[in-house]
Amino acid sequence: MRAFEYAAARTPADAFARTTPRTAYLAGGTTLVDLMKLGVVEPDAVIDINGLGLRGIRLDRDGLRVGALERMSDVAEHPVVAAEFPVVAQALQASASPQIRNMASIGGNLLQRTRCGYFRDVATACNKRQPGSGCPAQTGANRGHAVFGTSASCVATHASDLAVALVALDARVELAGPAGRREVPLADFYRLPGDSPQVENDLRPGELVTAVAVPRLAFARRSTYLKVRDRQSYEFALVSVAAALDVRNGTVRDVRLAVGGVGTRPWRLPLAEQALRGKRLTEATARQAVEAGTADARPLAFNAFKPALLRRTAVRTLLALGG
Amino acid sequence: MTAEILGRGRARVEGPAKVTGAAKYAADLHPSGLAYGYLVLATVGRGTVTAVDAEAALASPGVLAVYSPFNPLKLYGGIVHSDQSFLGQNWLPLQDAEVRHHGQIVGLVVADTFEQARRGAALVRVVYDARPPVADFAAALPNAVSPGPINGEPDVLDLLAPGVPSIEAALAAAPVRAGGTYTQPPKNPVPLEPHATVAVWDQAGLTLHLGTQAAMPSALTVAAALGQDPARVRVLSEHVGGGFGGKLYTWAHPLLTAAAAQALGRPVKTVITHEQMFSVTGNRTPVHQTVELGASADGALQAVKHEAVSGLSTSGLIFEQAAHTTSRYLYKAPNIHVAQKVAMLDAPPSTWMRAPGEEPGSFALESAMDELAAKLNLDPVELRLRNYSTVVPGRGVPWSSKHLDECYRLGAARFGWNRRAQRPGSVREGDWLIGYGMASAAYPGNQFPYTMAKVRLRADGGAEVSSATADLGTGMRTVLSSVVAERLGLPGERVAAVLGDSVLPMNYGAFASAGTASTATAARAAASAAVAQLVQVAVQNAASPFHGLDPKDVVYAEGRLTGPGGLDAAFGELLTRIDVSGVEAQDGSAPPPDARNFAVHSFGAHFCEVRVHAWTSEVRLRRFTSVIDAGRIVNERTARSQIAGGLVFGIGQALFEGSVMEPASGRTANANLAEYLIPVNADVPVFDIQFLSHPDTNFNEFGARGIGELGTVGSAAAIANALFNATGRRVRDLPVTVDKLFG
Ligand SMILES: Cc1cc2nc3c(=O)[nH]c(=O)nc-3n(C[C@H](O)[C@H](O)[C@H](O)COP(=O)(O)OP(=O)(O)OC[C@H]3O[C@@H](n4cnc5c(N)ncnc54)[C@H](O)[C@@H]3O)c2cc1C
Ligand code: SF4
Repeated sequence: MRAFEYAAARTPADAFARTTPRTAYLAGGTTLVDLMKLGVVEPDAVIDINGLGLRGIRLDRDGLRVGALERMSDVAEHPVVAAEFPVVAQALQASASPQIRNMASIGGNLLQRTRCGYFRDVATACNKRQPGSGCPAQTGANRGHAVFGTSASCVATHASDLAVALVALDARVELAGPAGRREVPLADFYRLPGDSPQVENDLRPGELVTAVAVPRLAFARRSTYLKVRDRQSYEFALVSVAAALDVRNGTVRDVRLAVGGVGTRPWRLPLAEQALRGKRLTEATARQAVEAGTADARPLAFNAFKPALLRRTAVRTLLALGG
Repeated sequence: MTAEILGRGRARVEGPAKVTGAAKYAADLHPSGLAYGYLVLATVGRGTVTAVDAEAALASPGVLAVYSPFNPLKLYGGIVHSDQSFLGQNWLPLQDAEVRHHGQIVGLVVADTFEQARRGAALVRVVYDARPPVADFAAALPNAVSPGPINGEPDVLDLLAPGVPSIEAALAAAPVRAGGTYTQPPKNPVPLEPHATVAVWDQAGLTLHLGTQAAMPSALTVAAALGQDPARVRVLSEHVGGGFGGKLYTWAHPLLTAAAAQALGRPVKTVITHEQMFSVTGNRTPVHQTVELGASADGALQAVKHEAVSGLSTSGLIFEQAAHTTSRYLYKAPNIHVAQKVAMLDAPPSTWMRAPGEEPGSFALESAMDELAAKLNLDPVELRLRNYSTVVPGRGVPWSSKHLDECYRLGAARFGWNRRAQRPGSVREGDWLIGYGMASAAYPGNQFPYTMAKVRLRADGGAEVSSATADLGTGMRTVLSSVVAERLGLPGERVAAVLGDSVLPMNYGAFASAGTASTATAARAAASAAVAQLVQVAVQNAASPFHGLDPKDVVYAEGRLTGPGGLDAAFGELLTRIDVSGVEAQDGSAPPPDARNFAVHSFGAHFCEVRVHAWTSEVRLRRFTSVIDAGRIVNERTARSQIAGGLVFGIGQALFEGSVMEPASGRTANANLAEYLIPVNADVPVFDIQFLSHPDTNFNEFGARGIGELGTVGSAAAIANALFNATGRRVRDLPVTVDKLFG
């Protein structure tokens, strides 16, 4: 770990003024400090944004708005979130550990880096960490890697559970930067790796995530997050499914389906959603829809099981929600 | 008044110190003037270091020194692993430029602070002439070689009935056969307390604070490597935060830390990270086994064939002796063949890890027995009872005490085994498939020779027992205090136990589940000797009311001496009155029983219930019953923890643990506790642990055998067998992860 400067920003303007290409914002620090200790990121200065407010968990006419500095645990336990958007609460509860959730912020969660073991080991090559150096995960230890959205440059998953739930719900991120404020659909905020995996999102220099906005969706009350992993807790997903279902008299009126542990970014399954709309929800229709929606999966040497596991997990989730 | 101190659930004596943080582990110590070491590890799997550029590191703030093969710290060779040296690998660090495995120590950076040392280490540029390592265990199997004799028996051992030409012939003649190939990856003992060393030199020599299971062998090993008189090296290890075998041997970093402290004239502390532990402090080797069982239609075993190939690091030292420790003796069969080979790997040093040999061996044998039971359509408990051994196959000697049959029967009753469905995949609760499985456990009753303990009776009425062993969470302090308190008739609180110091009475340390059998028997003998010494002092000291009496007329009981004519004094009062601060005596453990008369094992039977999700194949353990036959249980509370910990190890073996070694580079891809999975609390079910109480006085006067490793033996097989019962799917490759179960 390199020696670094520390400064606490008092206002967003103060934060922007301190920003250079060699600074990093610090929220809970559970990703940033970890990667600094590993030597993966080496900022000259860390700008603590915890004093900037960026708080609040509010439900109004438009939907739910959560400040970027709200802690994962507070959002997970919030009664309104649990009642109106169970998929969000459950995705958070299934993340990390209680200690980390108490520390980690919502903004930081969305901006966490991949858990690819080569990315985290500076003794190995990695295009994401060191552009052009290579991607040992293409043939190496890739059991945890992605099957959707991969490229010859990078096959790393986006690791956030929360992001999967939010993408299913068409959430938007609110951003503020030196050039002003803007809002972007979270699904578009994340980039595919293509041939520049080091660029992971649409964040501009100095920009802060200020909040996440989830549009109102009545049937989100019937939503859930199912995370399958090798052990029961404290592990990233092998595969996960975020689903919300509007079903009446056994017929699917509307559905939202996004999956995690399998994509280079949170992965929505629009074809599966489309295939389900207007259908009776049965094991067969669920299976057909999920198969149609995941046909483009491209497994690697050690994660060939993921498409099948994903399909089963998705069908299980849909049937559980529908029943 | 205190007769029941043994057996009762006495709380761990150092428990409050541990939970309040008052207990100091090696890494907690900060002697004045302390400097910090940080290791530099090789990033190639085999090769030669051709250059080390330390310029940037040396220019980095606070860095005091960069040691490397080109700027080494002098260490003395000529020590190889023997009873006197516990060196963890067959080379000394930095004494040559050879890289023998990925993650091998190639440098040590010392700086004023830990952070500066870590930064300095990141700046050291090491240039290698790399060669491809032999790191692919599967590919190395055909080149496996003989390891030489095992436990005094040939590595290929045939115990055949008269007239039977070979095990193959015996198998061919058996009407029912079962078995398969069972594999498991390398594993790492990664205790939560990282390996830490603090080296302090003064006129008296070196004091090394070191988390170790074996203080005295460590001191001897360090003294030899540093070219010091053993009398000038003292190893202190008051608390050890887990070891599991990984803290038995002395690794390379304490040697370098001690040498650096000497060179720099400052105390140096090196704490290695959990990541570094995966290559610096030893692994359990990968194991590939085939088991073939042949039985008659009524389930009587006719032939047991068990062949194992274990990895073995080219750095040494310990490989898993899977067949000889299990199929060699567990069942009565007229024909038994066990064989062991080793496949040499350019891997981190192979070392001891909880139940070495029995852990993989029991998984293979007890899985195969379950497969045989399924083929015979016979209850797995019944199959084991039909093949129950009462004498060691091929040797005819009985066990000192064996009640495994009672473990099976009692365990089955407690668990409700009769509710098990014989047909796999036939019990379902909603979307969950339910399965029951069982397996046997056996682990040798070990007792070390020459274990000594000292007991001191003090003028304040208290007593102290000491021996150079360790308490790595096993409860040894509590056991020693209780054993001596019982012998002396004192409340447990009045007897302090002192250990973790190489200058205390001779003790090899805490391993091989031999602690209670060795140290507790020595402590008990020392307590008796101290009482005899007390009586001598009482009759000889002129100021003593017992002066001049025949020692035979002075009786010690419950902390008091009594004599003719109503003479009576508590020993503390007496010592105070005669102005003696204390009396003490040493004594040793009795020699273990002659192996020609008895075999000694602890036994157990495990039963478990699993649930497997019908859609996703996620596994949940619902409950576990283990019945344990380990002789006399000295303290049930800490004993239960030992078994529970062993079972958690078995759960890890069955479902989670494995180091992923990259075949091309020899790098461990998951060398951290986020990706090397161990069970979390949510994965651990309710344990129903029951101890039988059959003191094994053929083994030692005290009747106690070991329990530290027993819980690990067979528990993975019980889980895998339950998974088969739940799903009909037999997974023979550990760990059993979701992807292997579904489909
Ligand atoms: C052991 C472990 C297990 C974990 N398991 C899971 C899991 O199962 N599921 C899961 O989803 N996550 C998991 N995580 C990840 C965890 O959720 C993230 O580390 C955490 O959410 C990051 O939040 P933070 O506030 O600590 O971010 P920080 O570490 O402070 O920041 C992370 C990154 O975001 C930037 N940043 C932070 N806030 C802002 C902002 N408002 N605007 C602009 N940039 C910002 C920082 O500069 C940095 O680059 C795990 C983490 C650990 C250490
Ligand atoms: S998958 Fe991506 S993060 Fe991993 S090594 Fe390849 S480029 Fe790096």
